[in-house]
Amino acid sequence: MEVYSMVVLGLLMGAAFGFALEKGRVFEPGVIVGQMQFRTFTMLKMFLTAIATGLVILAVLNGFWGVKLHPKATEIGADVVGGALLGLGIVLAGACPGTLFAQIGAGYRDAWFALAGGLAGAMAFGYAQPALKPWITGGPGKLTLDAMLGLPFWVVALMLAALLIAGLAALEHMRPWEDDLGPDADGLRD
Amino acid sequence: MSETHYDANGLSPHCPWRKTGSVLGRRAWSPYAAGVLIGLLQIPAFLLVNTALGASSSFVTLSAHIASWFDAGAMDNAYFASHAAGGKNWWQVALVIGIALGAYVSARLSRTRRAAVAPVWEKATGIASFAPRAAMAFAGGFILLFGARIAGGCTSGHGVSGIAQLAVSSMITMAAMFAAGIAAAMLMRKV
Repeated sequence: MEVYSMVVLGLLMGAAFGFALEKGRVFEPGVIVGQMQFRTFTMLKMFLTAIATGLVILAVLNGFWGVKLHPKATEIGADVVGGALLGLGIVLAGACPGTLFAQIGAGYRDAWFALAGGLAGAMAFGYAQPALKPWITGGPGKLTLDAMLGLPFWVVALMLAALLIAGLAALEHMRPWEDDLGPDADGLRD
Repeated sequence: MSETHYDANGLSPHCPWRKTGSVLGRRAWSPYAAGVLIGLLQIPAFLLVNTALGASSSFVTLSAHIASWFDAGAMDNAYFASHAAGGKNWWQVALVIGIALGAYVSARLSRTRRAAVAPVWEKATGIASFAPRAAMAFAGGFILLFGARIAGGCTSGHGVSGIAQLAVSSMITMAAMFAAGIAAAMLMRKV
């Protein structure tokens, strides 16, 4: 597809993404920090729901129509170190790389500084990448749970989706979502 | 919540933000409705863009171009060059700009106004003025993207998309993300 039509498609998909992030309140720094302190569960609920939905969709797309999947290669050291830095950054910024744009749209002005920091961090990584490359590449490759179990993708995907939905139902039973948002819908409960 | 009574404006004493009016004008949807909508975006991502939903590589696309403003050799760097052009890279840049637009429209429709800085920061860190919070946000953003690019993805690419593809790398990355995030948040004051 032309770059132009990809940009239009990206804007439309992003608008739906941002709308959902704002309505779900998961872009709120109070919701993110509250999740990491186990005070609120909004972030985990939305995250696991999006995964369960994706599992069902990809089970159909891949299992019945053969649409190609794009799992990322496993590099245990890079995944652990990168994931840990990501988690630290999420708590300090109060956002993920995607949700910080929702914060900008919703009017949080400190998010512009998180964006500037993110661009600087991506640039620093780009310059460091040739030196880091031997360490962050060359792992065991594109490992997936279905291949490790020797089962078709769609079978394991639907099983995990069912497990997640059962877990979410139990979580919602213990903690209704409306109790977690607080009077200003920002994750602060009092 | 079964005993909740809504007043004439559709507001309840427990959830004063919840309106019974138009769905698009509500301040909050359940995280399940929002999560399903985000998950559904995998359909156009896989069928039209031939990729999974993600956000962090757009920062590389943008920073590669910013780097080339003052470093004529920036595009000799294969990592920058591979992110600088093409439909998929600009699709993701458009996606993150769209996120800001969608959030803006959603907040306007529910007449939700946010302060310059969320009140959670004063509660969690004691920081009450803008400059130190902006510095903290900058540092957080830097670590966020440096980490995401080491891992090869963020909460969207590794989390929402990677686990939905049963990728082992994504499960390891998300476990490390939550472990470090929980540890860091526990060092802050209770929110």
